[in-house]
Amino acid sequence: MKNIIIFSLVFMFSATLYCKIDLVTLPERDKVQLTIYNSADLTFVRETRTLTMKKGANKLQFSWANTLIDPTSLELFPLKDTDKIAVTDLYFPPRITGLGIWNIVSQISGKSPCEINYFTSGISWQAYYLATLSQDEKTMKLEGYVKVTNRSGEDYENAQVRLVVGKIHLLDEIATLARRYPPYGRPFEPKPLPPTEPGKRRDVFEAKAMLAGAEDRVIVKQIEKEGLSEYFLYTIEGTETIPDGWTKRLLSFSQDKIPVMNFYKYDESRFGKNVFRFISFKNSKSHILGKEPLPDGLIKVFKIADKDQHLSYIGQDSTKYIPIDQVVDLNLGPVSDVKVEPKLMEVKTFNYQFNAPGRNISGWDESQTWKIKVSNYRNIPAKVEITRKFPHQYWTIENSGEFGDYKQLDKDTVRYTMELLPNATKTFTYKVVLRWGDRQY
Amino acid sequence: MKKFLILVAVAVLMLTNLSIARTKLVALPERAETVIRLDNPLYTLVEEERVLALQKGTNQVDFSWTGVSIDPDSIRIKILSHPDEVNLISVSYPPGENACIWQMYSPSPYEEKIRISYLLKNIDRLITYKAIADKDETKINLQSFLILRNFSGEDFQLAKILLDYGETYEKSVSHEETRQMLLVTKSSVPIEKKFTFDARKLPWDPEKVIGNVGIPVTYEIKNEKKHGLGEFALWSGKVRIFQDDGKGATIFLGEDNLNFTPVDEKCSLYVGDSRDIVVTQRKIKDIKINVRKNDSNAVILYDTDEIIKVEIENFKDMPSTLTLIEEIPGEWDIEETSHAYEKEDANTLKFNITLAPKAKETVTFHYHRRNVR
Repeated sequence: MKNIIIFSLVFMFSATLYCKIDLVTLPERDKVQLTIYNSADLTFVRETRTLTMKKGANKLQFSWANTLIDPTSLELFPLKDTDKIAVTDLYFPPRITGLGIWNIVSQISGKSPCEINYFTSGISWQAYYLATLSQDEKTMKLEGYVKVTNRSGEDYENAQVRLVVGKIHLLDEIATLARRYPPYGRPFEPKPLPPTEPGKRRDVFEAKAMLAGAEDRVIVKQIEKEGLSEYFLYTIEGTETIPDGWTKRLLSFSQDKIPVMNFYKYDESRFGKNVFRFISFKNSKSHILGKEPLPDGLIKVFKIADKDQHLSYIGQDSTKYIPIDQVVDLNLGPVSDVKVEPKLMEVKTFNYQFNAPGRNISGWDESQTWKIKVSNYRNIPAKVEITRKFPHQYWTIENSGEFGDYKQLDKDTVRYTMELLPNATKTFTYKVVLRWGDRQY
Repeated sequence: MKKFLILVAVAVLMLTNLSIARTKLVALPERAETVIRLDNPLYTLVEEERVLALQKGTNQVDFSWTGVSIDPDSIRIKILSHPDEVNLISVSYPPGENACIWQMYSPSPYEEKIRISYLLKNIDRLITYKAIADKDETKINLQSFLILRNFSGEDFQLAKILLDYGETYEKSVSHEETRQMLLVTKSSVPIEKKFTFDARKLPWDPEKVIGNVGIPVTYEIKNEKKHGLGEFALWSGKVRIFQDDGKGATIFLGEDNLNFTPVDEKCSLYVGDSRDIVVTQRKIKDIKINVRKNDSNAVILYDTDEIIKVEIENFKDMPSTLTLIEEIPGEWDIEETSHAYEKEDANTLKFNITLAPKAKETVTFHYHRRNVR
């Protein structure tokens, strides 16, 4: 649907009275560029249109009924003869929604290319990934896709598409501004209400996106990537036509043989009594990645199941944004083929203190001896990370057995990291002495 | 819509009191020059000039309005053509009417130009800004716009629209019309880009957070002559910040409210969040020392011994400066810090950490809180 309509109106001025002469042109879009953000419902649209100017005062009417354009973002400027064409003001006439008129004073007549910029809501994009682990789970193939969905009410034909990865700061939702009338509100009225359903748009988008595979292009387009400020900009080669209501999926990159590390985490404060499986890799050159940050998105992880390249599905995770050179930990959920079993073996109390002889206990020490059994039931090696938290910061510890790499994380948290061979078990013990009451001082 | 009415009645006889009959209509003067002055963000002043056909003697000028809201106490009149000869004798307000009556004395018949000023409600302005940063983010081009919102009930024919600086526009403005006008353009205004981790507001451990912890990025602008500004205070308003992409186009970086900034003061604009700097903060020691007890053996006073460790990773291939804001409540003494800090106030420490490209930096500070009860 073409909902954006532009009329160039020419008015003749005689003294202070003016009379409308005629509608002169209905300029088509020559070029359009969409810069779509993924952290907010926002698209920056740049259109180039050729306007026909008359010498003197010109009026250009822009209307956008049934679209989601933010009228406070509208901007018009000439691309040529910038010293001869002046855009003086933009006004929103009374009691008409979705319409603005620019006043332009031109010293020349004829065709003139102009740029019209505005923000719209309703166009979104999202990254998602398909990962395929090799049979030995030592390497992974990672395919990154971008999906663009247009629900803006406007068709964009042959548009250059740019996607922005980054977290921008907005004061008002563009969708709220698009619905507001008058465009800048009324004098002394309260500001527009904050967004009410922040999660909604994404759900709609995802339901839509699931149907999207059919629109894949035969020719794989290149996506050019570059950093700007704190953001990353993906520019899709050539142009795209995205009619209202449609979704497009494009391949962003594909990389095979990325070395990965399988590891398992046991942390009762985060995962309860389950072992969670993680796949870790680094977004770096050493992992044949690291050309670009990886935008946040859903990642589905498969594994090659047999020699005939059949697949088995492992799980999925929503990844965070991953800067270049950062380590990625994909959380694939709880597993039962790696087990961590802590067992409290002994409790002893000693060093009792009393307020006065024969009176109440004011302090004591408590020693707890824990035996931790770590089992790898898989036929590939596993790295296991065990995090233990103590009730407070007054403690001392003694480790024994195959406890691997030990590290104090903060005042009351310690971590053991160890590697297990296929179908192997390791056991270690720690004895923590906790000081209670007056024994803490 | 004509909501104002000026009637000039002439009473050639001496008037004895104010309970006069407002008699015959003499002229209905057209509005001449009109000025809408918007330098006060809360009140809009309208000044309009009219030419009155005054008779010799005492004239009664009736100024009334319907469908608009004006503050009657704000109405002022200035005699322009013969200020030494024509006198304003009195002003009276008839009961139950939106009107005022001026009694004017004219020594001879004059075509007298007067200026009426009043505060009109439901008409105001907003200020908005557009900033375009260069590719290195060292300077911006700054445009400011005046948005006139006229919901006053009045249509203005060719009124002069003024703020306290910038362009003056002469425009017709209808009731319920909104008009955006470019006020000022300033190019190459220097900016300073800053990253701030405020430990009072942001999560300490990004591992425990779903999604990324963004480190706020701000642009700091100084409203001073040296920086191409400094001629006038910057009014509060929304700023939309763009950046030149080096290919003849721009990308939108974010928006923030610019707070009112007097000349020579700084303003800070929150643009967006960086996810290429990761801060992990942990308390690695927190114990009670110097514990003192009362007779019932309850702890009544103690000090603490605390250490905080902050790991900062810069994944950017550019050097950056990160401001770290830390809070220590109550009384305290610093034992040792890995980096220099500034004391912002009694409870706030500020570290400015320079980060090399792709580098990791660890900040630790060891302190005692004193006399905790």
